[in-house]
Amino acid sequence: MIFNSLTYLLLLVFVVVLYWVLPYRSRLLLIFTASMAFYGFWRVEFLPVMLASTLVDFLVSKRMPEASARGRKSLLMTSLVINLGMLFYFKYLIFFADNAIGFANLLGLDIEPLVLNIILPLGISFYTFQTISYTVDVYRGFIKPEQDFVLYACYVTFFPQLVAGPVLRAAEVIHQFANRVSFDWNDIVVGIRRILYGLFLKVVLADNIAPLVDTGFAMPVETMSALDVWTMAFLFGFQIYFDFCAYSHIALGSARLMGICFPENFNFPYMAVSPKDFWRRWHISLSSWIRDYLYLPLAGIKVHDRSIGGLGNAAVDKRHHRALFLTWAIMGLWHGANWTFLLWGLYHGIVIFIYRLIEPYTHSLNYSLKWLGGFIITLPLMMLAWIPFRADSVSVTFEMWGRVLMPSAYTWLGMRENIYLITFLILIGFITVYFFQRKIMPLLQERKLVIFVGDTAAVTVMTALVIVFLRPISQFIYFQF
Amino acid sequence: MKLIKLGILQTIMNRMSLIAGLVFGVVLLHYFASQKTVTPKFEELALGKGTSTSLASINGVQIHCYDLNDAHQCLDGYVKQAIDLPVALWLGNSQVHAINQMKSGDETAVPELHRRLIDQGAYFLTFSQPNANLQEHLLLFHYLHDRLPVKKLVIPVVFDDMRETGIRTSLVDVLKDHSVSVRMAQTKIGQRLLADNGDQDAAGNDMSALEDTVQEASEKWLNAQMDKLMIWSERPALRGQFLLSLYKLRNTALGINPSTVRKMLPGNYKLNRQAFEAMLDEARRQGIQVLVYVVPLRNDVPIPYNAAEYSNFKTDMQALSISMGAHFANLEDLVPAEYWGTKQSTAVGSKQELDFMHFSAGGHNLLAKALYQELQVLQTVGATP
Repeated sequence: MIFNSLTYLLLLVFVVVLYWVLPYRSRLLLIFTASMAFYGFWRVEFLPVMLASTLVDFLVSKRMPEASARGRKSLLMTSLVINLGMLFYFKYLIFFADNAIGFANLLGLDIEPLVLNIILPLGISFYTFQTISYTVDVYRGFIKPEQDFVLYACYVTFFPQLVAGPVLRAAEVIHQFANRVSFDWNDIVVGIRRILYGLFLKVVLADNIAPLVDTGFAMPVETMSALDVWTMAFLFGFQIYFDFCAYSHIALGSARLMGICFPENFNFPYMAVSPKDFWRRWHISLSSWIRDYLYLPLAGIKVHDRSIGGLGNAAVDKRHHRALFLTWAIMGLWHGANWTFLLWGLYHGIVIFIYRLIEPYTHSLNYSLKWLGGFIITLPLMMLAWIPFRADSVSVTFEMWGRVLMPSAYTWLGMRENIYLITFLILIGFITVYFFQRKIMPLLQERKLVIFVGDTAAVTVMTALVIVFLRPISQFIYFQF
Repeated sequence: MKLIKLGILQTIMNRMSLIAGLVFGVVLLHYFASQKTVTPKFEELALGKGTSTSLASINGVQIHCYDLNDAHQCLDGYVKQAIDLPVALWLGNSQVHAINQMKSGDETAVPELHRRLIDQGAYFLTFSQPNANLQEHLLLFHYLHDRLPVKKLVIPVVFDDMRETGIRTSLVDVLKDHSVSVRMAQTKIGQRLLADNGDQDAAGNDMSALEDTVQEASEKWLNAQMDKLMIWSERPALRGQFLLSLYKLRNTALGINPSTVRKMLPGNYKLNRQAFEAMLDEARRQGIQVLVYVVPLRNDVPIPYNAAEYSNFKTDMQALSISMGAHFANLEDLVPAEYWGTKQSTAVGSKQELDFMHFSAGGHNLLAKALYQELQVLQTVGATP
């Protein structure tokens, strides 16, 4: 089911009302049933895949406490093989088969291309990561295995976060489901505000930027100027941010309506002052997951069960460099079975690697200079990273990056004037909102009337625009991952 | 105690502002929806007041259509006539269907050309869309050629429209036509258009993300129920009004008007040129005679283009047309100053501004005569080898 639709809003109202009316046990059953309905509204036939992943980890983890050390390891491997096997089959088989055949043909073997009709189940990358993290946490002894299947299933399948995150840890939410949450109007107010804000970001901003991005990326690269490439990188960067941030807001808001608090997934990522800082602000739940379940084990560093994002301050040695690049390659492929995503991951790996080398020399700089310099360098670097994410192929990506490095390509503009104007206004708007929230709002705390009027005006405009633009014309970009 | 009171006050104000904002938002929309202002299609905005649309009919049979939404009227009209005549097809932009300072009895060039050509045994049909680009012409040409015995094709080349790209939603469904998509896939530009537009839906389908899902049915049902509320059913008009206001605001803030010089956009130019070449090539292979003409342009004031770019454009179009066996005519000076007018400004306020693209009925009459003459040349010479 898509958040930006009447069906979802109706389901949400129905579930929230029932949730607060029903007794505790029935609440869990309601969440589980609603989550199945939410998923089934996309494709019913993929429900068993999700339930299989859920059930496997429930059963495997339940057996761990009484198993020997070797037995626990075997159980963990069972979970990993089944979950990653499903992920590989649905997400990567076509990619690997195509490339293997292509490689074989390069070697002179004449192999016909395989025709595989495999549909990627919605949200498989997200719920697979959640079930894996649960089993790994039980294996590591961070949490005890859950004995109640419905409670555990609610953690994995809870509809607000089911298809595009945040990637939740069991320790963050299972206790919230387990406790009888009492009704609080504050949860309702916060929930509605976040849903409204999320819908505004999606249907008013992201969906209206999308056609401009599509037009820009459809242009022949040889006719694009360097400024066109920059503009497209920035515009797509904002589109994907509004789109994904919108999903997270709606997810957090929907959960909050039921008194369930999720960790934040975004924190003004484009105001980051270093690549590491960016990953502490962008898709925080995924970057912390990758850190704890992939990077740190690969780097041989002790793991903590916390969701702070980023890849930590690991000491730098060859093993850590290998871990860094391997982690980013996997991070890239997690987003999609395509060489462009691998390139995206490696780009971030290289940028972080270079930052690690430079960072010790920046300590002597004063704070303001470091902040401003970091922001000015990080923002364009992070925006350029979006090119492989959106471009049709690796070759198009390199052509576009090549334009940026050509001084002669800065002498003309190849797109409609509106596109530059809109990109500029969005950038200014983003920075303004950041400074308003961080610097101006605290100063206005005592001026209650000003806040009241301003807040009412903002909600009024957002409500009107959301109603006017609410149409399920496009899915959330992260649904495809 | 004071802190607790402040906290309670803050909580109350926080809730009140949310409720007030939600209510005001709905009231605001209700107010705008109840204004019942008629919003033109956003694409037709450049016409402005002072310029009117006229889609010609002869004896109640429509011979001039826009796009897929009304194409059936022109196609059915041809079938109903049951005259089995070869078709001369004119694909154009708003210049073809708009009349500046239109008076009663005025008509575009279309009916005049239709009357003249039918006497010569050809059925003249026209399709035009505001700011139509050559990629859209290519698509429509394939679609109509499959359904009509097209023997002559008239294509205007417009510098402004070379800045446009992509396929508008009211034409995008043509790509779903099997025969069209097969032929589009044979050219580079066709492949690109298929890749970029293959999964889009026609205008009015606000639920393209739900296609083939269980949710599609529930969403349609819920929207049908919500459409009983005025603010819901008026949403397309409100969206148009909102975008129109932004467009006017931009024009006012940046001082943009029809006289503002428009630069050539290399990427869009290249895509349109590829489409043009593909269309001429297909026409040549199908034995269709093609007339390409540079559209009449207002010449009593400086043109809103970079002179060198405009000159290169004409040279390029001429060279390409001739190399592909089409007949080329430059009609840019055809319409004298007296037939050009003004239209209402598309900036905030109601000032009049020059109309560079649309002329009055007198201009259409001149265009009809000129095109008729060029078609005679085409017939005599047989431009297509």
